[in-house]
Amino acid sequence: MAAIEERGLSKPEVLSEFGCVVGIADCSFKVKRGEIFCVMGLSGSGKSTMVRHLNRLIEPTSGSISVLGEDMRALGADRLREMRAMHIGMVFQHMALLPHRTVRDNVGFPLQVRGEPKSKRWEVSQHCLNLVNLDGYEDRFPRELSGGMQQRVGLARALASDPEVLLMDEPFSALDPLIRRQLQDQFMALSAELKKTTVFITHDLDEAIRIGHRIAIMKDGRIVQIGTPEDIVTKPADDYVKDFVEGISKLKLVFAHSIMEKFTTYKPARGEDLAKSPRVSHDTDLDHLIDVSITTTQPIVVQSDKGKDVGVISKSTLLQGIQGGKA
Amino acid sequence: MTDSGLELGPSGLDASVGEFADQNQDYYTTEFAKIQGTTGFAWSWNTMAALFGPMWGAARGVWGFFWTFLVLELFALVQVGRGLWGELGAEHLQKYEKLLTNIAKREQQAQEALAAGDQAAADTAMKVADNLKKVATRAKEQADLAANEAVTILLIGLGLLVLFKIVEGFYANVAYEKQYLKWRANASTPSGVNQMTTLFGAVLLILIWPLTLFRFTVTNPDDKLSDLFGGRLSITQFPVNKEYFAPIATWLDGGFDWLANNFGDVFDGVTAGIRWVLDGLEILLIQTPWPVVMIVIVVMAFRLAGPRVAVFTAASLLYLAFMGLWEISMITVALIGAGAFLCVIFGIPLGIWFGKSKRAYTFAEPVLDFMQTMPAFVYLIPIIAFFGTGKPPGVLATIIFAMPPVIRLTALGMRGVPEATKEAAVAFGCSKWQLLRNVEIPLAMPSIMTGINQTILMSLSMVVIASLIGAEGLGALILEALQYAAKGQGLLGGLAILFCAMVIDRIAQGMYRRKAEGL
Repeated sequence: MAAIEERGLSKPEVLSEFGCVVGIADCSFKVKRGEIFCVMGLSGSGKSTMVRHLNRLIEPTSGSISVLGEDMRALGADRLREMRAMHIGMVFQHMALLPHRTVRDNVGFPLQVRGEPKSKRWEVSQHCLNLVNLDGYEDRFPRELSGGMQQRVGLARALASDPEVLLMDEPFSALDPLIRRQLQDQFMALSAELKKTTVFITHDLDEAIRIGHRIAIMKDGRIVQIGTPEDIVTKPADDYVKDFVEGISKLKLVFAHSIMEKFTTYKPARGEDLAKSPRVSHDTDLDHLIDVSITTTQPIVVQSDKGKDVGVISKSTLLQGIQGGKA
Repeated sequence: MTDSGLELGPSGLDASVGEFADQNQDYYTTEFAKIQGTTGFAWSWNTMAALFGPMWGAARGVWGFFWTFLVLELFALVQVGRGLWGELGAEHLQKYEKLLTNIAKREQQAQEALAAGDQAAADTAMKVADNLKKVATRAKEQADLAANEAVTILLIGLGLLVLFKIVEGFYANVAYEKQYLKWRANASTPSGVNQMTTLFGAVLLILIWPLTLFRFTVTNPDDKLSDLFGGRLSITQFPVNKEYFAPIATWLDGGFDWLANNFGDVFDGVTAGIRWVLDGLEILLIQTPWPVVMIVIVVMAFRLAGPRVAVFTAASLLYLAFMGLWEISMITVALIGAGAFLCVIFGIPLGIWFGKSKRAYTFAEPVLDFMQTMPAFVYLIPIIAFFGTGKPPGVLATIIFAMPPVIRLTALGMRGVPEATKEAAVAFGCSKWQLLRNVEIPLAMPSIMTGINQTILMSLSMVVIASLIGAEGLGALILEALQYAAKGQGLLGGLAILFCAMVIDRIAQGMYRRKAEGL
């Protein structure tokens, strides 16, 4: 452990030197209240291991974890169970519903663990099933439901104990693309309404960008980069991240201020008159910039929040920005 | 993730064949290319393999080849040996000589009888002697015939030897090419010419061939061996009598006696416990008026397993009643019920424990094997020593035999609970007990139920054996039938056991099926 901390050894190095596998190391991050924090990485990069440390399904060997101000590693067994039952909900990739229980009893399971009476459990599970649009399926068994519906039951179950924190371990990875998109939309709508602090694990960068307020990219048990979707796409920290970002459509992610040339240093070409240029706000995305660009022969002038001209985007700058070559 | 941890295998085909063959690289490269270029059987001849036979296999590490041709060549050599020096027809010759002495004895008896004036006795003896003479002539003929066969056998032996050599020559490269493919996938497969394996093969050959040849070509190998080396040597029987067996058995006897004397209270306690369960069941099944018991059983069958099983149950019960077997059938069911009940009570917790702890299961596994495979008679003896005879020891014997399935299948079910489901339950704050009660046991239930069903049926199969140590019931009826060869009684009793078993099994199975269908 000390060797990893002091010498910063990588995963293969530790494996060859000490014969043990590093799950995760050097993963420090804070998630703000109400934020959706996506953790992205390939299989084997340690993202699922990392999220299991947050509720101590896996015991960390060192480091510190704090959830809602509680030092998770200092909790006794009873208090830990209470934290899990009251404050941390979790959704799993393979749903992990109980096949012998009806949907209603599955959703009510966290409350049953907590010792709530049946009437309370039924009321809450009814409410949660309404949230995920599954009312009417209360008395079905999980095996009678489709994959997407099962995962919605999983989500309802995680919401049942009304936790402040949601941990989602690749919840939509096992679903087909169409259903996945539907569930993502549904989840985002729900999330906007409930404002749960969420740690969302995924191996799909598109999904991370769609859902996450901030994204952490993991590789070999380490976090390579943390940032907003735009940061990740426009300023990849290293080649690894760059490889990922390459195939991503940047139209909705890159904004005027990150591709513009400075207004003061911009030299208008012949026939250009910045006074006739259309004005756009600095947080206009590329998609909209293209729309504007089509209507004019002039370069586009970018304005700050206060209405001051701060930058210029010529057609070639715009095209380069779309290509993502030099942002 | 380019680094999969796998080393790249041997690359070029030709180069790797050379690396594999080590000696005679060019030869094997050509031959393997020929084999790989043919779709049918490749006629590839290997002179070394044909000449040295099994030893080629040993040197090249092709052990299948080694053992196959070790045995085949040995068979051919035995024929050759018999043809060359075997005393063919020796046993017929021996018989002939024995008969001659017998005939002489009879003739002498006849003469003595004649001398004593007993004409009848003399005639009888002469008749016997004549008959013996006929047999003797036939034996002599057979002996001569066998001796004449020596040349034929020798020729057959030689022919077989040549045939096997040809097969070796043509098969060797095909087998070796297969080994080469194995070696490509797994580098630890023997390759090249290995001195250690050659030596090992030679030692095996020297140990196996001469002794076996000697045994099958010489008439009285043990006597010959004694003549050659002096003293008594035997290659036909392992030279041990009961000198180790007897003292150990006596010592074990002492151990059992000591246990029986010093732990009598424990054994009495166990007996009392079993008797308590048994008495409860017997009151339920026998003391309760028979119409009540019958109605309850039939209604139970109907409710749990449906109308068809109910009809079958009613018919079976009527059979038992009209054959006058009602009471002893109920005794039997009580016996089985007590056994199965105790199996379940102890088996399920044990199964849960073994399912959770791998180490406990490793220790339990041989014990469970022992309980299931050891013939019942073996543990009946100590059971009598410790617990005496009667019903409770019978139940105990049943438990020993019938408990393993419920333990095994419970453990299996526990291990079959998906890790993800357990993890999810823990993530929602389940304690260990809640996990067991809400997740693990319900998910393991189908497996546990199968285990209980197996246990019940295995208990039934112990009924007759338990009756050997004094457990009454249908088993005793059949045991009695066996003693007096009463076929009819045996069959009727057997049918009664069969019906009991089928009723229990059908009710139980119908119950799971209905439950599984979610009714």
